[in-house]
Amino acid sequence: MQEQMLETKSSERSESKPRRFDYTAVLDIAIGFGLFLAAWQAVFMLKYKPSYLLPSPYMVGERLVQLAQSGALETSTLITLERLAAGFSISIAIGVAVGLLMVNFKRFGRAMGSFCVGLQSYPSIAWVPFAILLVGLNNEGIIFVVVISSAFSMMLSTYSGIRNIPPIYIKAGRNMGQSRISLFKNVMLPASYPSLITGVRQTWSFAWHALIGAEILMASIGLGALLEFGANFARMDQIIAAMVMIFLIGFLVDKLLFWKIEDRIRTTRGLNVIQK
Amino acid sequence: MQKNEEEYGGAPLSAYASAGQPSSKVLEIENLRKVHVRNNGKQQEDLVVIESVNFSVNEGEFVTIIGPSGCGKSTLLNIIAGLESHNGGDIVVRGHRVPSTGPDIVMIFQEDALFPWLTVLDNVAFGLRRKGISKSERRRIAMQYIELVQLGHFADSYVHQLSGGMKQRVSIARGLSMNPRVLLMDEPFGALDYRTREILQQQIQEIHAKTKKTILFVTHDVREAVSLGDRVILLTHRPSKIKQQYVVDLPRPRSSEDPQLHGLINIIQKELKEEIKYAGTDVGNEII
Repeated sequence: MQEQMLETKSSERSESKPRRFDYTAVLDIAIGFGLFLAAWQAVFMLKYKPSYLLPSPYMVGERLVQLAQSGALETSTLITLERLAAGFSISIAIGVAVGLLMVNFKRFGRAMGSFCVGLQSYPSIAWVPFAILLVGLNNEGIIFVVVISSAFSMMLSTYSGIRNIPPIYIKAGRNMGQSRISLFKNVMLPASYPSLITGVRQTWSFAWHALIGAEILMASIGLGALLEFGANFARMDQIIAAMVMIFLIGFLVDKLLFWKIEDRIRTTRGLNVIQK
Repeated sequence: MQKNEEEYGGAPLSAYASAGQPSSKVLEIENLRKVHVRNNGKQQEDLVVIESVNFSVNEGEFVTIIGPSGCGKSTLLNIIAGLESHNGGDIVVRGHRVPSTGPDIVMIFQEDALFPWLTVLDNVAFGLRRKGISKSERRRIAMQYIELVQLGHFADSYVHQLSGGMKQRVSIARGLSMNPRVLLMDEPFGALDYRTREILQQQIQEIHAKTKKTILFVTHDVREAVSLGDRVILLTHRPSKIKQQYVVDLPRPRSSEDPQLHGLINIIQKELKEEIKYAGTDVGNEII
């Protein structure tokens, strides 16, 4: 009987061995992009708007190449990514630190919790005037907007992530004689990874939204500024070229970085119930 | 098949340790008392859960505890494990009062308490973390215990890939690998189906015979209590006290369907029914 039990289990196990690269998923995504470009081209060919207001994919591609050749694209993208990295990492650091304090000091947690909920949904653009006067119309001002728009989301995720750990894990850890530090590092932290990674992803999303908004209003260089200049000089091809870059960065970071991490965590723990 | 509470009272215990060694107390529970404070709307209400429980467990002995649902069996085990506070009395391990939870007394929970982010091997090795042994050494020791519960092929599996019975076997391996003085088991097979439970009941007896571990095992199943225990402790309804203790002096390995066990099962079941009657019959079906 036992042997039987082992048999069925081992066959089940071999199914969930490390998965190979899924080419069909990539194909589906490529088809999706292709259809979108075709639809765009079709709308362009209807001549519903003049081409300087609604350029074709090819025209936008041309503009992208021009911007790349002049070096403007690289400079803009790099400075935007730099601001993003700075703002996002500061947000994560502050968010995790304050979140942990909230877990440790119950009354602070309660007070801060409701504060966070309010501030989390506060529109990031609405911080811009405040930031311009307080910090200045400069790089730091932009990063300030990014941090203040996204840190609260990380605080909340850390706070709720740790508070929602199933008590049995902590009981088991204590039962195995773990010190407070080890309990935190080896039990509580990994137990809260699924909600922490969701929090990191949400924080990234808030930070990215805030950054582009702040760049449109506050920057003289960067992808947001590229959009703004496009509007000022009525260069729709440049506007869409910048939009494409913004889209691509968001897509790549989310899909390739966070999604991968989240998927791995979920698969390890058997949380991926719905699999193709 | 005698029953007598006095036998286990203050006087030195007669030699009945299953391991065949001279009996020596490894765990003593003295006048244990536990009060839950219930917040009942406006006023607070004290609820005595455990009222002066006294017993001791000998080295290598397999003791089962049985009692009506809600009588505080799990609370008792949690207190012994240091996971819950108590309001009076002492827990003495080898002559030393237990200060807090530690590797001397390890609990195996009914719920799935394995860490889903670790493999079977790392789950079992986790308990050895604090002893300052190297990672490879921890894994080597863990592997021995995984082999002991016959899960060698599954060392690299993650917890969700295992069945309920296998998970509990990993839990047992994790508990044993820490080499505790006393292994506490809180209805460890309660959530398993009948057949799996049968298998695990056999296995735990084999493991007990091999390792000579001292085991304190809580269950609500009289059959399980009698077939596994060298001694069965019957608790009363709340506030729980020890109602009776029974020595099960029958050859091992036993099966819960062993006809020799019927007599004792019937006696305990009758006593237990009485307790359930006192406790209110709403939970009666669950127990028998």
